[in-house]
Amino acid sequence: MSNTLKCYPLVDTTEPNLLEETFDYSMPPLIRFDGPVVEYVDGRPVEFDPQTLKTRDIFITDTTFRDGQQARPPYTVDQMVRIYDLLGQLGGPNGVIRQTEFFLYTHNDRETLDRCRELGHRYPECTGWIRAVPGDFRLVKEAGLAESGMLTSCSDYHIFEKLKFKSRKQCMDSYCEVVDAAFEAGVRPRCHLEDITRADLPGFVFPFVERLMRMSEQVPEEKSVKVRMCDTMGFGLSFPGVELPRSIPKLIYSLNKEVGVPSSRLEWHGHNDFHKVHINGATAWLYGCDALNSTLFGYGERTGNPPLEGAVFEYIALKGDLCGIRTEVISELADYMRSIGLPIPDNYPFVGRAFNVTRAGIHAGGLRQDERIYNIFDTTTLLNRPPRVMLTDKTGSDGVALWVNEFFGLKGDERISKIKCHKVARWVMDQYEKEGRMTAISDEELEVKVRELMPEYYLKYKGNGDAG
Amino acid sequence: MPSVMDRVVAVTSRVLQVDPGEIKPQHAFATDLGAESVQSVELVAMFEEEFGIEMDEDEALSVETVGDAAEYIAKVCRQQGVAC
Repeated sequence: MSNTLKCYPLVDTTEPNLLEETFDYSMPPLIRFDGPVVEYVDGRPVEFDPQTLKTRDIFITDTTFRDGQQARPPYTVDQMVRIYDLLGQLGGPNGVIRQTEFFLYTHNDRETLDRCRELGHRYPECTGWIRAVPGDFRLVKEAGLAESGMLTSCSDYHIFEKLKFKSRKQCMDSYCEVVDAAFEAGVRPRCHLEDITRADLPGFVFPFVERLMRMSEQVPEEKSVKVRMCDTMGFGLSFPGVELPRSIPKLIYSLNKEVGVPSSRLEWHGHNDFHKVHINGATAWLYGCDALNSTLFGYGERTGNPPLEGAVFEYIALKGDLCGIRTEVISELADYMRSIGLPIPDNYPFVGRAFNVTRAGIHAGGLRQDERIYNIFDTTTLLNRPPRVMLTDKTGSDGVALWVNEFFGLKGDERISKIKCHKVARWVMDQYEKEGRMTAISDEELEVKVRELMPEYYLKYKGNGDAG
Repeated sequence: MPSVMDRVVAVTSRVLQVDPGEIKPQHAFATDLGAESVQSVELVAMFEEEFGIEMDEDEALSVETVGDAAEYIAKVCRQQGVAC
């Protein structure tokens, strides 16, 4: 091992190196690669060039109204229309959020679809979701949709144990019959290969998808079969060197390069049973799958799906550009979802109430000097969420001063020193040391105290407050 | 009129609740007199009030001992034209 050791002499400097090529504060930190990614397939190295991510048409698809709705009570029509509208604003004119899918079975399902389309957004495109029953494509056609997902479960757990097929061939023939029905109806089928990470890939999945590719040759490209890889139980793994069927790199390589499914017709749909849902989705992008299926705030069956807002920031970090995305709409979506009863944990990334709130005094001190020290990016601009402090006995005078300056909206030389905030800091400490308090101090309590203990500043920056 | 040192000792005694007779110029506010973080800030605020001056936050908070505080305050008073 000793001959691998290198000498790293100190590079002394009086100017900080803030690595701003990667950590440009106005953007999420960029994901930069300095070489190819290598995976061993059948014992030989295969290189994947991550630089292609900058030019490939990768995109996000949404299943908030389908998988997302399976994890909660149904949305009302009005709620779904509002969410769809916000998704359209968030994804922007370039269709970064390319599609979303709707159930088609009830009057409400169809009314929702009609009202969403009446909004006139080009994106997300509306697609359907139906059972793998030939007659159901009539619903898709009547709804005027060009594409619909259909369930084509592919592990033997499903083929034999759930669907009770007598053989794999009988199962495959049944699925292909439905695909034919889609073609006849003029609808593009999107085959959802449920439980693919627990399936016999060479024994069933690859032959089935090969057959789908051959069947697609009889229809125009825009009607050809799409393949959604459904990691139904969250078994997929992102690391190089993992064996199939759990290896996402090998699975995508095989479908893409060996079976011949173009990247543009591959989609990844994950679940979070092992806390891997987001990175697995990003991994799918990296290894050649263009579409990443997601739900708002990760809500979906059981442990959920790739969070859409996480995919949005991953997308920007990979592309190095906002690409027309309006990230601030994420906060609007979170507020709306909370207002209709969707719980979002306080520490949930990007939208939780405390995602950029610090309680530690030493962190508050850092934030007071330069918010970049303890804030992930310019959350004020990108999410309408300035970094904040929550005051406890651990926050100290720095935290109090930071809170006060944010409250008054003061920046730069205008900021009030912590010396001027000492009475509020003393009140905070006494809450814990003398009153035995065990909870954080609310913004409302602090406002009352700032008004009482710093009246001259309150009057200067907030007025007399009589108008409320 | 009490000296700057006398007034610094009086303020320190009041804020930290220490008998003035036990406060010596060489005493460090934090390690000898037990000043906690918030009390250090309160000390600076009370010195400003006592002497009618404005001190630079970082400079003032970096002063460690009672004697150094008296010296620093006297300097600020001279700079700001305040009799002390």
